Amino acid sequence: MQRRPLVARHPSILIFLALLALFTLGVTLLSEAYGTGYLSTSFVKTLGKTLCLCLVAVAMDLVWGYAGILSLGHFAFFGLGGYMIGMWLMYERTRDIVAGSMAEAAIPPTEQEIVDAIGTQIFGVVGASEFPAIWAFADSLLLQLVLVVAVPGLLALVFGWLAFRSRVTGVYLSILTQAMTLALALYLFQNDSGLRGNNGLSGLQNIPGLTDVPQSHVSMWFLWASAAALALGYVLSAWIVSGKFGSVLRGIRDNEARVRFLGYPVEQYKLMIFTVTAMIAGIAGALYYPQAGIINPAEIAPIASIYLAVWVAIGGRGRLYGAVIGAAFVSLVSSWFTGGQAPDVNLGFYTISWVDWWLILLGLSFVAVTIFAPRGIGGLVDLIADARRPDRHGADLGPDQGALREKEADR
Amino acid sequence: MLRVLFASLAFLCLALTAPARAQDEGSIQPILQEQSELIQESSRRTIQPAIDAIAASGLSQAQTVLETWQAKDMWLRLTDGQYFRAERINRETYRLFDLDTGEDLGEFPADDLDQIKPNSGIRGLIAVALVQFQLSDPDPENRRAALQSLERDPNEDALAPLRNSIEGETDPDLLAKKQRLERLLTMAYDRDPEARIAAIEEMSEDTGVDVRATLNPILSTRLRVFNGAPPDSLNIARTLTPGSDALPRAEAYEMLVSAGDAPSRLGPDAIKDTLAQNITDGEVAGIQVHNLNTQETRRTAYDRLVADGIAPPVPTEAEVDATLAQYIFAEVYDEPNAAVTTAAQAALDSIATRVAVGQAVDLTLDALSLASIYFLAAIGLAITFGVMGVINMAHGEFIMMGAYTGYVVQQFVPGPTASILVAIPLAFAVTFGAGVAMERLVIRFLYNRPLETLLATFGISIALQQLAKNIFGTQARPLTSPDWLDGAWVLNDVVSISYIRIAIFALALIFLALFLYIMNRTRLGLETRAVTQNRRMAASMGINPDRVNMLTFGLGSGIAGIAGVAIGLWAKVTSELGQDYIVQSFMTVVVGGVGNIWGTLLGATMIGFLQKGIEWFNPSNTLAAQTYMIIFIIIFIQFRPRGIIALRGRAAGD
Amino acid sequence: MKDLKSTLCAAALLGATAAPAMAQDCPIKVGVLHSLSGTMAISETTLKDTMLMLIDDQNAAGGLLGCELEAVVVDPASDWPLFAEKARELLTVQDVDVIFGNWTSVSRKSVLPVIEELNGLLFYPVQYEGEESSKNVFYTGAAPNQQAIPATDYFLEELGVEKFALLGTDYVYPRTTNNILESYLMDKGIAEEDIFVNYTPFGHSDWSKIVADVVALGADGKKVGVISTINGDANIGFYKELAAAGISADDIPVVAFSVGEEELSGLDTSNLVGHLAAWNYFQSADTEANADFIAKWKERMGEERVTNDPMEAHYIGFNMWVNAVEDAGTTDVDAVRDAMYGQEFPNLTGGTAVMLPNHHLAKPVLIGEIQENGQFDIISQTEEVPGDAWTDYLPESAVLKSDWQELGCGMYNTETETCVQIKSNY
Repeated sequence: MQRRPLVARHPSILIFLALLALFTLGVTLLSEAYGTGYLSTSFVKTLGKTLCLCLVAVAMDLVWGYAGILSLGHFAFFGLGGYMIGMWLMYERTRDIVAGSMAEAAIPPTEQEIVDAIGTQIFGVVGASEFPAIWAFADSLLLQLVLVVAVPGLLALVFGWLAFRSRVTGVYLSILTQAMTLALALYLFQNDSGLRGNNGLSGLQNIPGLTDVPQSHVSMWFLWASAAALALGYVLSAWIVSGKFGSVLRGIRDNEARVRFLGYPVEQYKLMIFTVTAMIAGIAGALYYPQAGIINPAEIAPIASIYLAVWVAIGGRGRLYGAVIGAAFVSLVSSWFTGGQAPDVNLGFYTISWVDWWLILLGLSFVAVTIFAPRGIGGLVDLIADARRPDRHGADLGPDQGALREKEADR
Repeated sequence: MLRVLFASLAFLCLALTAPARAQDEGSIQPILQEQSELIQESSRRTIQPAIDAIAASGLSQAQTVLETWQAKDMWLRLTDGQYFRAERINRETYRLFDLDTGEDLGEFPADDLDQIKPNSGIRGLIAVALVQFQLSDPDPENRRAALQSLERDPNEDALAPLRNSIEGETDPDLLAKKQRLERLLTMAYDRDPEARIAAIEEMSEDTGVDVRATLNPILSTRLRVFNGAPPDSLNIARTLTPGSDALPRAEAYEMLVSAGDAPSRLGPDAIKDTLAQNITDGEVAGIQVHNLNTQETRRTAYDRLVADGIAPPVPTEAEVDATLAQYIFAEVYDEPNAAVTTAAQAALDSIATRVAVGQAVDLTLDALSLASIYFLAAIGLAITFGVMGVINMAHGEFIMMGAYTGYVVQQFVPGPTASILVAIPLAFAVTFGAGVAMERLVIRFLYNRPLETLLATFGISIALQQLAKNIFGTQARPLTSPDWLDGAWVLNDVVSISYIRIAIFALALIFLALFLYIMNRTRLGLETRAVTQNRRMAASMGINPDRVNMLTFGLGSGIAGIAGVAIGLWAKVTSELGQDYIVQSFMTVVVGGVGNIWGTLLGATMIGFLQKGIEWFNPSNTLAAQTYMIIFIIIFIQFRPRGIIALRGRAAGD
Repeated sequence: MKDLKSTLCAAALLGATAAPAMAQDCPIKVGVLHSLSGTMAISETTLKDTMLMLIDDQNAAGGLLGCELEAVVVDPASDWPLFAEKARELLTVQDVDVIFGNWTSVSRKSVLPVIEELNGLLFYPVQYEGEESSKNVFYTGAAPNQQAIPATDYFLEELGVEKFALLGTDYVYPRTTNNILESYLMDKGIAEEDIFVNYTPFGHSDWSKIVADVVALGADGKKVGVISTINGDANIGFYKELAAAGISADDIPVVAFSVGEEELSGLDTSNLVGHLAAWNYFQSADTEANADFIAKWKERMGEERVTNDPMEAHYIGFNMWVNAVEDAGTTDVDAVRDAMYGQEFPNLTGGTAVMLPNHHLAKPVLIGEIQENGQFDIISQTEEVPGDAWTDYLPESAVLKSDWQELGCGMYNTETETCVQIKSNY
């Protein structure tokens, strides 16, 4: 049978890409750098970061919504990507400063002296001066860019191979991935890890070689890059889930044993999707942290990965645009509430200050979504779609109720 | 000038007012006046003469004056520079007492008074001076204080008075202390080497820190260099060869350089400095400055400077070796008597073995204690997760609620003991209620969707945590333990464990027994097991599964609440208390094997011992211990995915 | 067909845009950048309240340059990247004239690039590890030589400590401080093996092994002292374990650099009497200015509230800024910075604080013993010590000097006589 092209099978991709392009264009026209200046640079940075979060949410949706693996460790991969690019940013920026200052000395410095001085600058903050072995490639942008994908991918590959091989599934896997994140965060918290411990890598928004370019421009460039990465990631994800591979993934999610009995190498499929999504998360992180300016181990604490799952669940898992909606909606609303912009509610006897009560609201709305609206915000789309198409009233295909099953299987 | 005038005036007043007795025996005030500068400077480095002057005054009130001073009760009257004992009446007024007679001198305004505040270093020196007075003091508390001071600062002078005071000692506890101290002082200070060796041999089986603290200084050494064989009069500990681990080659050579016996070896920085000083017309010894960016060219340039006689030559490696070979490096004991050092070394070696055993025991106790804390935190989870299969991410917050309940009770119920007794059942009630409410409102809708239970309970967890912050603030709250839980059970100086840890251990055992009893001997346990194994079958047997689930979940949560009180007593009460334990608790249950309380026990034990074991290998980094422990668990689960004790057959599900 | 879903996404992204405010001369805006939620809220909320109190007082006294002062409070939520974001927002959207804020070093390092890029002005009120000097930051807390070094001297000279246990939480401040102290102690003739260093994670609670290790240090007959840079909650477990092990301050004294009145209020101090803390301010300081300050604070916040060292730092910093603005006649950052050098303001503990050209204060160092009521008994108070940005006890920073007034450089190498860098290292 002749397969129709991807875009024809999934018109939502085109709509998504169009909206994303429109959004990017809009922001550009309203920005300080290239437009009217209506949007402040700090808000452009927030939007750029939100796009990166959307990308990692798409990855999370692939692994959870489509393959049924509730990974509570994908923010670890996100953070690792950030660390990898951060190492190059710090090294090169410091190198510029140090080389400039040493050039004024009477005797020109040797290569080793420059490296030592960079080490003193970077690690002086945490009471050391030696370069640890993991900084071996920090002077090469290309190698560090490879590492942005390779390190999260490799970690996911090794961890996934161990976990899937011994058939750890369901909540056990979730707890295990959470343990992995915790172990990684604790490891990075140590100074011995060589990544400046609790202090992390900072000053990442200053791009080496671009010291004269104002941040308003740099932030726009990063927004474009993030939008492009999100678009590519979205299309890639849509392509993955649309083909035979995607069908097997959904099969694994709905009944792993049955798929295995049909002769599919379930573990390899899971490992594949786990690793690919880890790489996507790494790329998202590498784009996110130069915009945030600082990365430290607290970023990959287990709670961050749980929030990631929260976004996907609120947006609606099992559909890629749901993940994007969830990540964008929750993170933007969250920053609006905690930013002190939300007006306090005066009840007469007590004033609800959202800084204090926002987390409670978030927690409870999360409970409400899981119980009452398992399809999340994306479920609203179904309301419209259902109005046009008769409901088939099919039973759930798998034991795990909730997300749409039957209709997906029909496609 | 004015000061002298005031002082003499004051003397006049004093002479007029002071009673006859002080006149007869002499007043301490002149001594204080003489030392006034030192007393007011109040620094440990300079205070000794003042203390000695008072102690050696021979006045009967010297002891009380020293004690008053030590207790920060001595005050200076600014107008006349006189010293008094003062008692606070309120912020503005103090009542003064004469130091000689103790006579009440009436009330004085605080503006005119200045408190003399000896720091703890000075207080220690005063205590040393007081030893001679207090060793035979009728008050046993004073004698105890004297002994304590001697333990802290043993000194040669105290040996004779201590020996004299032993005979008259009536209190058996103090007598034992005095005898022990006498042995220690003999080891360190006795003139007769035979007596010292005897004392050392006698104490060679004692693991006390004080014994080691006495023996180690006897063995103190100094590294010395000899040109030729060292003289026989020295008590040599060992000779060292340069280049060994104990004495690196560079260090040995540096010793010779600093003694002026060898020319210095210039480091790269020194070479660079020399080059920088010799730049002429943009080049050094004919080499362009911009070419000096490698060590090799710098070395070449320097060698040319040496050849020109501008810079001093640097010894080659062979020359360094030749110089080093001329000298003998040896560690020399400060103690001249070889017999004493040999005995001390032998005693220390025998103590070291005992200490090692003691440390192993102590580590085991610590590990057991940590295991019991993990077990206590995980036991509620063993019910809700292990038996019912419900992932409750808010479990940690139930622990926190228990701890806060303990704190709130302590605000209303006076007395730590009573409040703890009230808090335990109340914490159970509160978290039982919260657990039941959560089961009814949330979890029962999600029994078939474990992953979503995880997320929903996580939502509850962050809401509860923030709620606690809103109510109690983010500051840690004090939860005071009763007196009988303060302190530690001390076996010796190496092995000890605090009572609160023992109590937690006991509580963990009680809960284990309770769990076994409820699950195996009560109707609720029977019904719980029935519902877990086959809900429909159980329901058709007349069991109400909803009720059973509710009660079981409540029970698990309630136990978490009690654990919270215990953990709050042991550590701290903050809104993030639960978070610290939630991942570890899940690991404990998963590692042990879901659905089996013995598995949880084994899991907790394994994690506790593992963590302490890793800490022992890497003592300066407790974070590493936690990291490696988690990695170990991840690997462990690869080999036993169902935990240490895996359920078999039907109960295993799937 | 499925347009709504994507529309929703874009709307969510676009919808929450904030309108930038117009820059104005009046009112003068003061940014307050302290975490009001998250782990640091406990310490930082107090400082936010202090700032509001100081601003209200200043307004009651007639404002500044004929303008009202307006506090702009934002919440960076103990999230380090958020500090940078909020700082940018304060400077570009809210157009504040000065920022008072930050507690942790990480958060300061996160804010530094933004402040320097936009030429803002930050007053940082907490004791910190030094090794930094930014043109745009005034450090009103203690540098290591105003807290750690005097406390170590006190240990060496007054308590006769010969063996040191440096216990700290694993983050920048303890790492750098302990590094400086190690080097300082070796200068003072303490052998390397007599210095025991240990780091624990934030919120550490299992202290028995570490306390046992510290006790075991006494085995060679030397007097042991503990220098604690343990931060926050972890102190509770640490002090509880110390008390349980029956270690009195006379046996093994502990001096803490991060434990003040506020932290002690979460503890039963009866077992800790005699242990020490070093600060530039204690609530128990007996001066009139301090009595007024405490009374005002208690009236505003409640009887049970205590005052602490960073509050005094804000008190001094804010008043110096007010005076500098009056001297300069404008809130322009560069003019105010020039007017700041040499500003003097009375300390709450007596004496006068002076702003030095290296953006640090000269302040007295106080050492206090913990009392049963959770307050400190001040047993040692030095003359004013000038804050030193670059410590003299580490070889690589001994040659560095910060002087923004004369040299215009925060990292000036006195050996090569060159400015290493104008921006600070972060």
